[in-house]
Amino acid sequence: MTKILLRYLNLLVLTLLVVIVFSFTLGYLFPGDVYTNLTGLESKAEALRYLKVDSDAGFFSLFIAYFSNTLVGQWGVSSITGEPLFSEVLLSLPATLELGFYALLLAVVVGLPCGFFAGLKPQRSLDMSILGASAVMYSFPVFWLAMVFILIFSLNLEWLPMSGRVDLLLNVPTVSGFIFVDILLADNIDKGHAFVDALKHLALPTLSVSIITMATLIRAVRRSTLDVMRKPYIIAAQSRGLSSAQIFLKHGMRNALLPILPIMAMQVTTLITNVMIVESLFSWPGMGHWLLQAIYQQDYPAIRTGLLAVAGAVIVLTIIIEVLSRLVDPSREKFDRVAV
Amino acid sequence: MKRSAWRPTTAFFVAVLGACLAGCSPTETSQPSTRGVVYCSESDPTSFNPQLDTSGTTSDASAHQLYDRLIEFDIETGNIVAGLAESWLVSEDGLVYTFQLKKNVAFHHTDYFSPSRTFNADDVLFSINRWRDESHPYHTISGGMYPYFQSLNLAANIESVDRINGYRIQIHLTKPDSSFLAHLATDFAVILSAEYADELLKQGRPEALDHYPIGTGPYRFVEYRKNRFIRYERHDNYWRHSVPNPQLVFDITQRSALRLAKLITGECDVSAFPAQSELNAVREDDRLTLLEKPGLNVGFWAFNTQREPFDNPDVRRALAMAIDKSTLLDAVYFGSAKRAIGIVPPTSWAHQQNAEEISYNPVQSRSLLRAMGVEQGFSMTIWAMPVQRAYNPNAMKMAKLMQGYLAAVGVEVTIVSYDWTTFRNNLQAGMHDSVLIGWSADNADPDNFYRPLLTCGAIPSGTNRAMWCNQKYDNLIERAIAVTDSDQRKQLYAQANRLLYEQVPLLPIAHAFRYQAQRENIKKVIINSYGGIQLGEVEKRDD
Amino acid sequence: MSRFNLYQDEFHPSPWRQTWREFKRSHVAMAGVVVLAIFAFIAFFGPLISPYDPTLQNTDALLVPPSWDASGTVRYVMGTDALGRDLFSRLIHGAQVTFGTSVMLVLIAMLVGVAIGVMAGMSNGTRASVINHLLDALMVIPTLLLAIIIVAILGTGLVNSMWAITLALIPHFVHHTRNTVRELMNKEYILAARLDGASKTHIFVHSLLPNMIEMLVVQWTIALSVAILDITALGFLNLGAQGSTIELGAILADSVNVVYIAPWNIALPGLTIFAMVFAVNVVGDGLRAALNRRLRH
Repeated sequence: MTKILLRYLNLLVLTLLVVIVFSFTLGYLFPGDVYTNLTGLESKAEALRYLKVDSDAGFFSLFIAYFSNTLVGQWGVSSITGEPLFSEVLLSLPATLELGFYALLLAVVVGLPCGFFAGLKPQRSLDMSILGASAVMYSFPVFWLAMVFILIFSLNLEWLPMSGRVDLLLNVPTVSGFIFVDILLADNIDKGHAFVDALKHLALPTLSVSIITMATLIRAVRRSTLDVMRKPYIIAAQSRGLSSAQIFLKHGMRNALLPILPIMAMQVTTLITNVMIVESLFSWPGMGHWLLQAIYQQDYPAIRTGLLAVAGAVIVLTIIIEVLSRLVDPSREKFDRVAV
Repeated sequence: MKRSAWRPTTAFFVAVLGACLAGCSPTETSQPSTRGVVYCSESDPTSFNPQLDTSGTTSDASAHQLYDRLIEFDIETGNIVAGLAESWLVSEDGLVYTFQLKKNVAFHHTDYFSPSRTFNADDVLFSINRWRDESHPYHTISGGMYPYFQSLNLAANIESVDRINGYRIQIHLTKPDSSFLAHLATDFAVILSAEYADELLKQGRPEALDHYPIGTGPYRFVEYRKNRFIRYERHDNYWRHSVPNPQLVFDITQRSALRLAKLITGECDVSAFPAQSELNAVREDDRLTLLEKPGLNVGFWAFNTQREPFDNPDVRRALAMAIDKSTLLDAVYFGSAKRAIGIVPPTSWAHQQNAEEISYNPVQSRSLLRAMGVEQGFSMTIWAMPVQRAYNPNAMKMAKLMQGYLAAVGVEVTIVSYDWTTFRNNLQAGMHDSVLIGWSADNADPDNFYRPLLTCGAIPSGTNRAMWCNQKYDNLIERAIAVTDSDQRKQLYAQANRLLYEQVPLLPIAHAFRYQAQRENIKKVIINSYGGIQLGEVEKRDD
Repeated sequence: MSRFNLYQDEFHPSPWRQTWREFKRSHVAMAGVVVLAIFAFIAFFGPLISPYDPTLQNTDALLVPPSWDASGTVRYVMGTDALGRDLFSRLIHGAQVTFGTSVMLVLIAMLVGVAIGVMAGMSNGTRASVINHLLDALMVIPTLLLAIIIVAILGTGLVNSMWAITLALIPHFVHHTRNTVRELMNKEYILAARLDGASKTHIFVHSLLPNMIEMLVVQWTIALSVAILDITALGFLNLGAQGSTIELGAILADSVNVVYIAPWNIALPGLTIFAMVFAVNVVGDGLRAALNRRLRH
């Protein structure tokens, strides 16, 4: 157990180090002055002061300075607004993670049962329709799906709002950056109303992002259930006369779920990307919205920071899920994943 | 151990599912507990001080929401009426202006500043001296550029600004200026708080003056998130009238389609710049109303006259001939604009009915271009604004149409666009060949078109996008402002028009109407031909 | 088979024929093949069948609804966009660019990926472990995010976004190739070949490649659907195809401005992308299922 944890900790530290090195090289890859790219400050003197290095510092000592700055949250400032980037990221990242989390949750809540049903009765009409639906869902371009949802549910039916995380007139002070937590912490608003309002705002973005993950999950769960139900111990249980419901609940489900966790780890990254794509359609104030603005404005320090933050978050999430899946199923081979 | 780990998880799923169902079910009995008006604006303001910027976005977000001026334009007539100055007096020779100020006008009381006194002469002195006096401690703060005043070269004409007593000030000019009062009534001549400025200077962060604003206007500033929203709250002690609306939020939405969508879903109450193509959709929807006003603006295509071959008037003329303006009016403005002949719109008294205009003639354009040495396949850039403006609701679309016209005369066009802030910085640096942009007037005086758009002094301040400097033109404009007789002025402007027709530093395209779309339960939004939107009196009727 | 056979030889279809026979049994998969064939046809001959020049602007016919709408006209089968350009012609040209570039860039990514993967799979020691570690790090980042990063460095544009997606897809081919090669290298027939003194190239060409082709075809369809989605997403986000380049994602991005007044401008390009991706996925699934069945027999 400790060995596994240590190994993943090692992997985490190494990958994060690689990401920081990569973001440092971005300073050289982007057009313009290296010092400006690394700090967002126009004048070299100010940039050097920010990095706490001398003007004759070599490549390596510059990296050390950048590295230690990065660790303490001194990520530079935006070259357009002059705002400190670290706090900007802290404002946007929670929104992205939040949307990703609810989308994953929805995908799991719907995807798991569907996958089980399909896998237990293969080749029947239920299986075929679930499989067909998942193939369709899997092929949607996420940005188009989001627009279609807006068109149907917001503009034509007028059921759900299409922008933001909560009604702008509800002045929810930002504390944690996670809207439901912030609503609970706020003391100046009608919490019940705010809660319902936030849920409504969440509905469309969550749905459009989760559809694709849901499809992947359904297929993975179906595959894995199929495999498990052919295992000898299931057949043995059948011969002992257990009912199929008992067999599935007692032996099948858990074993079918084991190979799913690592797939979730892969899916988290896709999910976050999809969240970032739809954010600007839903005026969702997350990293994608922010990073795209930075790219359009050619705000290189912000792009560098944004990539650092997103890559960092994605890696941390992936490794957490990997660790979880290893803890749940220590017998699994290192990168052994079920086919989707 | 493993088994029990699943139980709480399952319970959690059920709880969340339950919460989700509860949220989606139509138990919408409680009305929104928070009231206020949401205005969907089109872009980010660069600061909350309109002195620093001529962009309409900045004035919309600040000029009439947060601040007042000494004098104001009457919305209906365009005449000058009292603002923070109760009355004013102009001397016989037109050189001395005396203003009597209002008493008991309260500044905003916010989290970051508590005023200890009401508005007085010091505030006026501070506000004017900041842009006028280069040695003023605040002059260089936030960039030190005051484009409106600098493009008019107004500072040079002010000899002094004197405090007579706490509520009376006097401004001395070096030469008479018939449009001086109009300048003081524009969005840009706002009155800031001198007390706040002093306090910030002591704290060593003077730039906060422009980002955490304090004014006397109907709303006070609460919070701004770039690219997301601006939040204001009612100024309870507003001196002019009581403010009916408790909260005002600017929802920053760059795409006009999304603004319309939010208007339809009720997420916005008022929307800036509906696209011309969407006007019919707004008219047909019972719940929406469309406000319409002839705009004091001009949309044009400016050549960078400091670049080859656009420094040659004949090349510019030839390129202008390649463009069919009538189609642009139909396709981009959908007929809701007047064809522009000169740069002054027909609503102005200085508009010249019979001015000459370059007509559409691709054949002649082609031969003229070849004669000037512009070969087939010559490539140039057209910069298209990324934002909608009243004067050009869709510059990108216009650029694409023009790309087609210019291809017909053998000129290859690359369309360039950046984010609005970058766009303007790069324009300022003169990186363009030509640009589709325009101008919304800030006051009713024709000088407000002729001077900032094309005089030499307007190049460094970034309003002369053609980068065109012509001594003869400058002289005409100077002379026009020194006389008060309007017939005489008209004649001088006619000469200027003639010069523009010969030199073609820019091709005027359209004078657009100004539109505002809003929900039907919103009353008293004031759209102003002379500048930013005014939401001080807006009221939202509960359905 | 209907041919008269004099000698009662046992008929041994090649593995490919077997797979094809299994594949044909699925009607859905065959429908996918037909749709893909149509897109391939468009990719080659698109300009010949498009009724108008896709950049031709008719300012008298802005936002004309499709022909099946009450106010549509037959002149513009699928209506026009905000600049009066024929949507049908634009879709054909857009599909040509999107599909054509996706196919091409997946091929390039496959060639490079397989080369690296084989090298990594056949060698061991430090070189292999360095490649493996780098790959594991890269695999974590989704292709689109990687592509956005690369576009941010190179600058926006269709060609840059193609490079970006190609680069981003390579690790996946490397990963799968490496795993397959690893697996195959333990097989007896490889060992036999090695004992016979066959060179690495020889082993690769004669023993590894024939056994990898099917895996590669399946991976290729997966990568193709990813590539189409990514290239349209970049186009939609204004990071890929710009301005005058007609690409399905960019067409959609243009149409967002008329989402409410002209919904067909959203629906049709979106459906085209969807049909393309769906067909690729269905064919990929069919192939995989056919392979599985063949191996089981």
